[in-house]
Amino acid sequence: MLLTLAFIVVAMLFAPSLSRALDARAGWLLALAPLAGFVWMLTQLPVVSSGGVVLESYAWVPALDVALSFRLDGLSLLFGLLVTGIGTLIVLYAGSYLSDHHHLGRFYAYLLGFMAAMLGLVLADDLIALFVFWELTSVMSFLLISFQHENAVSRRAALQALLITGGGGLALLAGLILLGTAADSWQFSTLTAEAVEGHVLYPAILVLVLLGCFTKSAQVPFHLWLPNAMAAPTPVSAYLHSATMVKAGVYLLARLNPVMGGSAGWGTTLIVFGAATALVGAVLALRQTDLKRILAYTTVTVLGQLTMLIGTNTAYGLQAFVIYILAHSLYKGALFMAVGSIDHATGTRELTRLGGLIRFMPLTGAAVALAAFSNAGLPPFFGFIAKEFKYAGLIELGPLGWITTVVMIVTNALLLTAAGLIFIRSFLGRQGAYPRHPHEVSVFMWLGPMTLAIGGFLLGTFNNVAEVWLVNSAVQAVARGPVDVHLYLWGGITPAVIASLLTISLGILAYVKRHAMRRWMTRWHTIWQISGDLLWDRLLKRVFIFAGQIADRFQHGSLRQHIALLALASSVFALLGVALAGGITAWPPVTSPISWAASAGCILAITGAGAAAAMRDRIALVTATGACGLGVALFFLAINAPDVAITQIMVETLTVIFLALVLRKLPPLQVVGSRNSKRRRLHMVVSVLFGLAFTAVLLTSIAGPLPGDIAAWYLANSLPGGHGANVVNVILVDFRAFDTLGEILVVALASIAAANMLGGRSARKDGNNGNPEFGSVLLRQGIKPLAGVLILVSVALLWRGHNLPGGGFIGGLVAASALVILALGYGVPTARKLLRIHPPRLIGVGLALAAGAGLIGLLGQQPFLSSAWIAPGGLALGSPLLFDVGVFLTVLGSMVHMLFRLLEKEA
Amino acid sequence: MEIIAAITAGILVSIGVWLLLDRNLVRVVLGVVVIGNAINIAVLTGGRFNGTTAPFTSAAGVPELASNPLPQALVLTAIVIGFALFVFALAVLKRTWELHGTTATDRVTEVAEDDAPDLAPPALATPSAPADREGRR
Repeated sequence: MLLTLAFIVVAMLFAPSLSRALDARAGWLLALAPLAGFVWMLTQLPVVSSGGVVLESYAWVPALDVALSFRLDGLSLLFGLLVTGIGTLIVLYAGSYLSDHHHLGRFYAYLLGFMAAMLGLVLADDLIALFVFWELTSVMSFLLISFQHENAVSRRAALQALLITGGGGLALLAGLILLGTAADSWQFSTLTAEAVEGHVLYPAILVLVLLGCFTKSAQVPFHLWLPNAMAAPTPVSAYLHSATMVKAGVYLLARLNPVMGGSAGWGTTLIVFGAATALVGAVLALRQTDLKRILAYTTVTVLGQLTMLIGTNTAYGLQAFVIYILAHSLYKGALFMAVGSIDHATGTRELTRLGGLIRFMPLTGAAVALAAFSNAGLPPFFGFIAKEFKYAGLIELGPLGWITTVVMIVTNALLLTAAGLIFIRSFLGRQGAYPRHPHEVSVFMWLGPMTLAIGGFLLGTFNNVAEVWLVNSAVQAVARGPVDVHLYLWGGITPAVIASLLTISLGILAYVKRHAMRRWMTRWHTIWQISGDLLWDRLLKRVFIFAGQIADRFQHGSLRQHIALLALASSVFALLGVALAGGITAWPPVTSPISWAASAGCILAITGAGAAAAMRDRIALVTATGACGLGVALFFLAINAPDVAITQIMVETLTVIFLALVLRKLPPLQVVGSRNSKRRRLHMVVSVLFGLAFTAVLLTSIAGPLPGDIAAWYLANSLPGGHGANVVNVILVDFRAFDTLGEILVVALASIAAANMLGGRSARKDGNNGNPEFGSVLLRQGIKPLAGVLILVSVALLWRGHNLPGGGFIGGLVAASALVILALGYGVPTARKLLRIHPPRLIGVGLALAAGAGLIGLLGQQPFLSSAWIAPGGLALGSPLLFDVGVFLTVLGSMVHMLFRLLEKEA
Repeated sequence: MEIIAAITAGILVSIGVWLLLDRNLVRVVLGVVVIGNAINIAVLTGGRFNGTTAPFTSAAGVPELASNPLPQALVLTAIVIGFALFVFALAVLKRTWELHGTTATDRVTEVAEDDAPDLAPPALATPSAPADREGRR
């Protein structure tokens, strides 16, 4: 089964290129894929008709227990034969119908894609797999309806179909998940009625699954999309919107009937909705003058009747269901294709302009006649048996069935009238006023309708063949218990036959009186103005307006409101979390003794930040920010974090330089805070609340014990494992080197992004001799040796970093500061010349060294970045040192790159 | 000491958020710096201040009361990354000023985003548009 699917998918993938190479003849080749599937299905007939099933299963998402399992039983085989059989004829037909369309290849691809999805749907045994195929058919239907997307009507129809069936699909997914959970089984074949029907979730499952099925099978009130979907090319209407896809909903109903059909709610809902749909479809069909729309509405009627037949759950009802699916697919497919041919030949589908076509298109006419007889339910066609059994099934049911029988007699009579309209009005009588002179269509365009129509005739005449091979096994798959299947054309004078006679006479009467009936119907014009389509448009408009309002509320474009909301929400949640937090062992937290130096640092930091928030003068701002950073550095130093403190001092220095360089080009700050005092107060509240939440979270986290002994492990293993006394540095370049690699990568990327944002290299390469502020000769003379010393110091810091304060980060920052003074004093060109290497290249070399140091570990068959050491002459050298050099170069390159770009742009 | 540090971090974060909420992008950038400092203090506080010596070991053995080295390693890289982020923010600020001549946050959004083409007033699409545009300038 997977092979059949795969074959069709392959055909789909090659369709566009084949079509380009072979033009319309590509269809002959592509039709082989569904034909092969059809033949394979035929070979499975003996197994399945004798009650066997064919199984295939592949693990798909084992973790979620989703399998790609296929199961071929009577029902699947019936649908599979229809999908592949009609599919073959449609592919051939489409080649002629759209022969001059420039996107024929794309059309083939969509069509075959749909075929694969539909085949997967009817073969799937897994609930989730079925859903995936289900949605795929919706998507392919969207693409096919909108195939002529230049046309606004097509686009609207496609979107409407997608929204309705897709929306129903969501309900179905929920329903299937509930179903799987309730029954504790994800295969259709292992679901049991006891587990499902008795479950407390059954009503929810029922509603959700029915929503999915009703939207797909166009039941009232979701029937809107089907007539509109006629905007698609006719092969699509014939295939998707009459023979296959719209029956997916009915298929699922039938599939679930054995496990869900036991409740009274199931039967009543299906019968009521089905009967309503049938009636609405039949009445609306007669108002149409476009042949395709007439057919679409009769399809709605048939879908309603099918739904209703499942609801009866009687032996006759279910037999009628299976026969009717077969009969309808055959005659409706034939009629649609024939209407396409008429359209193709005459250029119109309007009933009022057609007539007398039998003279020009005898073969198509014969096919239409045969199909229309089946459609009308006249003996000895298959449609007649379907109708007989339908009545028998309903009459069997009791009072509800009798009422629906009346509804059925009326709708079937109207169907007969519609069939008469299609055949008699377009093929017999006076010659119509066609826009084009008609001609008989090419062989592939009459072959399809003819084959299907003759099929309907043969199945009716030799109904025992159909019974043995197809109907019996399908009915057993739908029924809740064994059913005695026996088809016949003539069963004596039964109530069903009387109902049939009534139907036929009513139908003929309606046809004869059709003009009077139309006139009578137009009198009730207020009723026809209550169009579901208009309501749909209004609904969609409302939804868009509503969505727009919601989006406007949140996407107002104000950065400040976003931040305020974010801060407010996170503080509320943080405070809630603190209030609910457990595991607090000591309150107030056990703390270490107060360090006065650290406290002084805290006060300096707060003062600096406060000043930065309050002051307007740009120089003051820079100074205040620097003070804040220095306070933090002092704090770091006081709590015994020398490496961190040195890094902070270096970074703070660079921060002040960069800030000053940028701010001097900007205008003075105008106002402190917001102009609006109310908003200012709000911002004040948000900030204070956020700070409180921050402190509260921090206090809560330190109130518990420090989990684990990670710190102790690092301290103990630093020297023996990492050959370094500076534990912080060993962590950076050895124990957690992979983190560090990621971090220097971030630094490199941020610096490249920032440098690009700061602007390209200045056109004036010379003439920039540094900033005039450094114009003093004495200062300039001092700068060079100082820079030299700084470079030396940075290298020393790098080298000793493994054992003493220092390392790649600090060294890189110190070296960068050396180049900062050079660039400020002598200008960027001089600094570039002294550096000799282009900064981005420096970044690249640094990253390469760091990553390369990791590869050394790989060579020793160890994980990436494992350290490796050698000790020539007692001097311990290892890959972490190389890694640290990489860090050094990356940091240096990044800082210098940004600085050069900034200064060059300044000049 | 942890309590003082936690309160300090809270106050710094408050000031930082206050700066972020300012109309002027310059202050927003400063807010980024201040919040970065606060978070670094917070991370170190999370590691406790139990140690009395820096986290250095020697051949003689591990000191009894060395401070927690892990948060220090984390914060060290965070400082450098924070600086790169700061320069990036600064670059955005500078570019905004060069392109739009404004540094007010809510103004920038208005200036930077054009209307969707569908929403443009029809007057602009007609042939008389150039004259119209000249007039508006």
